[in-house]
Amino acid sequence: MSEWLPHESESPEEAVPTSGPAVGQDEWVAREGERRASRAGWVGTVEARLRRVPWWAWLTLFVAAGSAMPLFESSGYVRLVGFNTVVYMMLALGLNLVVGWGGLLDLGYIAFFGIGSYVYAIFDSAKFGYHVPSILIVPAAVIVGALVGLLVGLPSRRLSGDYLAIVTLFFLELFETVATNGNQIFGHDITGGSFGISTVFPLSFAGHTLAVQHNGIFAVSYYYVAIVMFVIVYVALFFVNNSRTGRAWRSLREDPLASEVMGMPVNWLKLMSFATGAGVAALAGTISTALNASVYPLNFSPVVLITIYAMVILGGAGSQPGVVIGAFLVSVLLQVLQDPGQARVLFYLVIVVGVIAAYRVSVRLALVAASTAVFGIATHAIAASFHHSWVDGAHGGLAGVIANWVVVPEQLTPWVGQVSYLLLLVGMLCSTQLRGRLRLVALPPTLYLAAFVWENQMIPNPGPARYIVLGLLLIVLMIVRPNGLLGERRVEIN
Amino acid sequence: MQFFIQLSLDGLTVGSVYALVALGYTLIYGVLKLLNFAHGDVFMVGSFIGYGVLQALGGASNPVVPVWLLLVLVTLAAMAGCAVLGVVIERFAYRPLRNAPRIAPLISALGVSFFLSNSMQLEFGAQQFNYASYNLSGGALYFHGFDLDHVHIPLLRIITIGSAFALMVVLWFLVNRTRTGKAMRATSFDREAAAMLGIDIDRVIVFTFILGSALAGAAGVMFALRVPTFAAVGFTTGLKGFTAAVIGGIGSIPGAMVGGILLGCAESYTAGYWTTAWSDLVVFSILIAFMIFRPQGLFGRVDIRKV
Amino acid sequence: MGERLLELDGVSLAFGGLRCVSDLDLHVDEGEIVSVIGPNGAGKTTLFNLITGIYEPDEGDIRLAGESIVGLQPHQITRRGIARTFQTLRLFLNLTVKENVMAAAYGHTKAGIFRSMLRTPGMRREEREISELANEKLAFFGERLMGYRWNQPAYSLSYANRRRLEIARATATNPRLLLLDEPAAGMNPVETHEITELIGKLRTDGGYTILVIEHDMHVVEGISDRVVALDHGTKIAEGTFVEVATNQGVIEAYLGLGTAETK
Repeated sequence: MSEWLPHESESPEEAVPTSGPAVGQDEWVAREGERRASRAGWVGTVEARLRRVPWWAWLTLFVAAGSAMPLFESSGYVRLVGFNTVVYMMLALGLNLVVGWGGLLDLGYIAFFGIGSYVYAIFDSAKFGYHVPSILIVPAAVIVGALVGLLVGLPSRRLSGDYLAIVTLFFLELFETVATNGNQIFGHDITGGSFGISTVFPLSFAGHTLAVQHNGIFAVSYYYVAIVMFVIVYVALFFVNNSRTGRAWRSLREDPLASEVMGMPVNWLKLMSFATGAGVAALAGTISTALNASVYPLNFSPVVLITIYAMVILGGAGSQPGVVIGAFLVSVLLQVLQDPGQARVLFYLVIVVGVIAAYRVSVRLALVAASTAVFGIATHAIAASFHHSWVDGAHGGLAGVIANWVVVPEQLTPWVGQVSYLLLLVGMLCSTQLRGRLRLVALPPTLYLAAFVWENQMIPNPGPARYIVLGLLLIVLMIVRPNGLLGERRVEIN
Repeated sequence: MQFFIQLSLDGLTVGSVYALVALGYTLIYGVLKLLNFAHGDVFMVGSFIGYGVLQALGGASNPVVPVWLLLVLVTLAAMAGCAVLGVVIERFAYRPLRNAPRIAPLISALGVSFFLSNSMQLEFGAQQFNYASYNLSGGALYFHGFDLDHVHIPLLRIITIGSAFALMVVLWFLVNRTRTGKAMRATSFDREAAAMLGIDIDRVIVFTFILGSALAGAAGVMFALRVPTFAAVGFTTGLKGFTAAVIGGIGSIPGAMVGGILLGCAESYTAGYWTTAWSDLVVFSILIAFMIFRPQGLFGRVDIRKV
Repeated sequence: MGERLLELDGVSLAFGGLRCVSDLDLHVDEGEIVSVIGPNGAGKTTLFNLITGIYEPDEGDIRLAGESIVGLQPHQITRRGIARTFQTLRLFLNLTVKENVMAAAYGHTKAGIFRSMLRTPGMRREEREISELANEKLAFFGERLMGYRWNQPAYSLSYANRRRLEIARATATNPRLLLLDEPAAGMNPVETHEITELIGKLRTDGGYTILVIEHDMHVVEGISDRVVALDHGTKIAEGTFVEVATNQGVIEAYLGLGTAETK
C-alpha cells in the first residue's frame, strides 16, 4: 500500500494508518456522525450514559411500571384502557416488522388482527357451540393469521411499493366485506355479519377459566396476560432482528436487487415478513377478543389501521422502543381527547409549548402572548355586548375560567362554526408560510380561532376530532420529522 | 333484456363518476408517482360544495335561476372549489415531500384523507345530504328523456353521462394537444429531465392538480344528483375510482375512462344479477386479479428499469 | 490455471429490437483474472446481469464449473459461488458497515426464524461465525474499514471506502468467482493504484477467480491475465492486454475509424 501521503489520525490510541487517500478526510466524515450525536455539557453526558443502558433493562423498567399501574388505579375503565394500550403496542411491534424492517407498505395489516379475532370467536363462543381450550385456539389463530399473511404476501413478489400498498389495502376491504356480509355465505352464517359475534368465551388455561369481570370491573388478570404476551413478542422480535433473517429483511428494505444478488432469497423473505407480522397481529386479536367477549367488523376498519400507522410513524419505524412509545402516546392521546377537561388542558399545553418552542423566551414571545390575550378579551367583550347567551355556554372548572377569554356561546350556530373552522385553516396555513412581522400579526387571531374551534367544536365532538388531530399529526410528522421520535435518520437514494 | 338495459344504464352512470375520479388519480400519479389517497375526499368535498351552492340558489324545488343555469353553476362551483382545495393540498402536504422517500407522501395523503373526511363530519355531521334532484323543474328532468325498449332513460341521466364524456374529451384535448399537456406528459416520463429542459415542474404539477381535482368536483356533483352524499363517502368512492384507474392502467387516460365504465358496469351487473352485498367483493377481486396477473392494467406501460 | 470455471456459450439477449448481447462466447478459468473492456453500451454490465441471473438469455448457455445456471434465481446462483459488485454502488446504506458484510453471509448459513427467536445455542454459534467472517473480510482492506468504522452506517463512508465495502460484502458470500463492475470508477490515481494491488491480492490471498469490467487501462494492464473486448454485444478481440490494445477493431470501437489509422 502506498505510504507516501501523510494521514492525520483522529485519536492518539488509534494506530496511524500507513496508507490512505487525502488528509484524513474520510476519517473526519465518519467521525462526524459521532460528533453530532454527542452534545456538549451535561446533556451529552446523560445521553451517553443512557445509551449504554442495555435494552432489556429498559424493557424491564417499562414492564415493571406498567405492571404497577393497577395498584394505583382500581378503576375498571383505566384497566381496560391499559389493556387496549398493550394490545396496540403488540400491533405496533408487528407492523414495525413489516414496514420498519422489511420496508413493505402493508395497508391491510389490521385484517390479520381481525382474522385472529374471528378465528378465536368462531371456535370459542356460544355461536357455534365450539369451546376449544385457549391453549389450542390461540396458537391456531396465530398460525391461520400467518398463513393468510403468506397468501397476501404472494403478490409482493412482483409488486413494489405503491402497488403492494394498493393490493394490501384491497385485501383489507375484502376482509371487511366478507366479515360484514358473512352472515349470508351461501345460506350459512359464519361471521355474524355486521352484528359480529358477541358471545365469546374468555381465556381458559388448564381447565381454569379467566373470568373477564369481577363484580362488573374488568379483571386485572387479562392486563397481565397481555403484558406477558407483549414481552414475549418484544423479545422474540428483538432476537429475530439481530439474526440473519433480521439483517436480510433490513437489507431487502434498502435494496431488494442487491440483496437478491448477495444470496438472500428476496421473495421468500418478503413472504416471511408478511407472515410473521400477521402472526403477531393475530395473537393480539385473540386476547383482545377474549377480553371484549365479542368481535365486530368495525373493529378492523381503515380507521384503526391508520391509527396503528400513526403509532409506528410517531415512534419511529424500525425502532422497537420507538413504536412502543408511539403506541403509548397515541393511545393516551385518543383517550385524553375523549374527556373534555383533559382535552382542554392538553390543547393549552400544546399551544403554550409550541409557541415557546417557536419563539423561545423573547420579546416576540411576549408580543404574541399579549396580543392573543388582548385579541381574545376584545372579541369576548364585543360578543358579550351583543347578547349574554353568546358567551354563556361554559360551566365551571377550568372551562369557566377559560370562557372569560374564549367566546363560548350557549348554542353554536352552525354557519359560525363552519366559517370559523375554515378561517382557522386559512390562518394556520398562512402562519406557516409567513415570516417575521407578518407572522406576528397572523398568529394571535389564529391562536384565538384555534381556542374557539377547540372549545366549541372539537371538545363536544371527540369522535371526528380525534381523527382530525391524528390526520394532522401524520402530515406534520412526515414533513418535519419522518423518522419519528426514536427512528434513525434515513438516507435514501432513488 | 329490459333489466339488462336498466343495469347497463346504471353501470354507465356510476361508471362515469368512477371514470372522472379515476382520471384525477391517474393524472396525479402520472406526474408525481403518488397515489393521492385524499382524492376521494376531494370528490366528497365537491359534492358538499355543490349542495351548498344548490341550497344558496334556492334548492331543487325553488331555484332562483333557470334549471340549466342552476346545474351549470353548481357544477362549476364544485369544480372551482375542488381545484382550490387540490392546489392547497399539493402545496402544503405534498410539495415539501417532493424529495422524500416514496412512503412519505403516501402517509401524508392518508393523513389528508383522514383530516378532510373527519373535518367535514365535524362541521356538517354524519348525516346525508340530498340534492333532491327529482324536484328540479317539478320532476321534468325525470319525465323527459327517451324510451329504449320500454326502459325510460331520464333526461337527467343523459345530461350526466353526456357531461362526463364531454369533460373527458376536453381533458384528452388538454393533455394531448396543448403545450402544457405536453409538459405534463414529459414530466410524467422523467421529472428531472423535464426540469432540465426548462419545464417549470411546480407549475405543471399545480396544473395537474387543478385538472384532477376539478374533475373530482364535477364527479361529486354528478354523484350527488343521483344519490345522497355524506362525509364518509369519499373513502369508498375514492377506492373504487382508484381501482378503475389501476385496472385501466395507472398513468393512462383512456385507461381511466375505460376502467371506470367497466367497474361501474361490473358493480351494476353484480348487484342486479346477484346481490348488492357481494358487488363490492367482485370489484375487489377483479382488482386483485389484475394486480397479480396484469399489474400494468389494460392500457398501462410496463416499466423497464435499467439495472 | 485451473479448470474452466465460467463458460458462456453462444449467449444472446435482446430487449425489444435492441440486441444487447449477440452470440457471445466467453470463458474464465479458475485462478484467472480476466478483464472485459469496451465502449459504453457494449453490453458489459448486461453480461454481468446475465451471469448473475438478473436477466435470462434468449439463446445460449451459461455454465458454472460445468453445470448450467440458466434459469436459476439470482440468489441460487450466488450460493453456487458467484458474487458481484455494481457499477453504481448498491450498498445497504442505512445498515452499519459490518452488517452490510454480515448480511451477505445469508446464503451459507441456516438459522431460521424460530431458532432466531429462541436464540438456540446453534444459532448463537452461527452468529459468532458470521461475525468473525465479517471481521475477516473487512480486515482484508487494511485499516480502511477497521475498528470504529464497523458500527458506522454505510452512508457515512467516503466514496472509495464504499467501493471497498461493496467488494468486502461480495466476498462474504464465499464465492469462487468474483465479478467486479468498474471497481476503479471515480477514483483518483492513488486509489486506483490501491485497487489494482487489491485485485491482485484478492486472487493470491483470497483465492478468488475474478472477472473485471474496467475502463481505466492502467488497471486493466496491471491485473489482467487475459482481456476480452466487447462492442455492440459481440466479442471483437481477446488475448493479452498488448494484443487487444493494439487490435484495429478495438481502437476503432473506442476512437473511431479515423484514429485507427494513426495508431
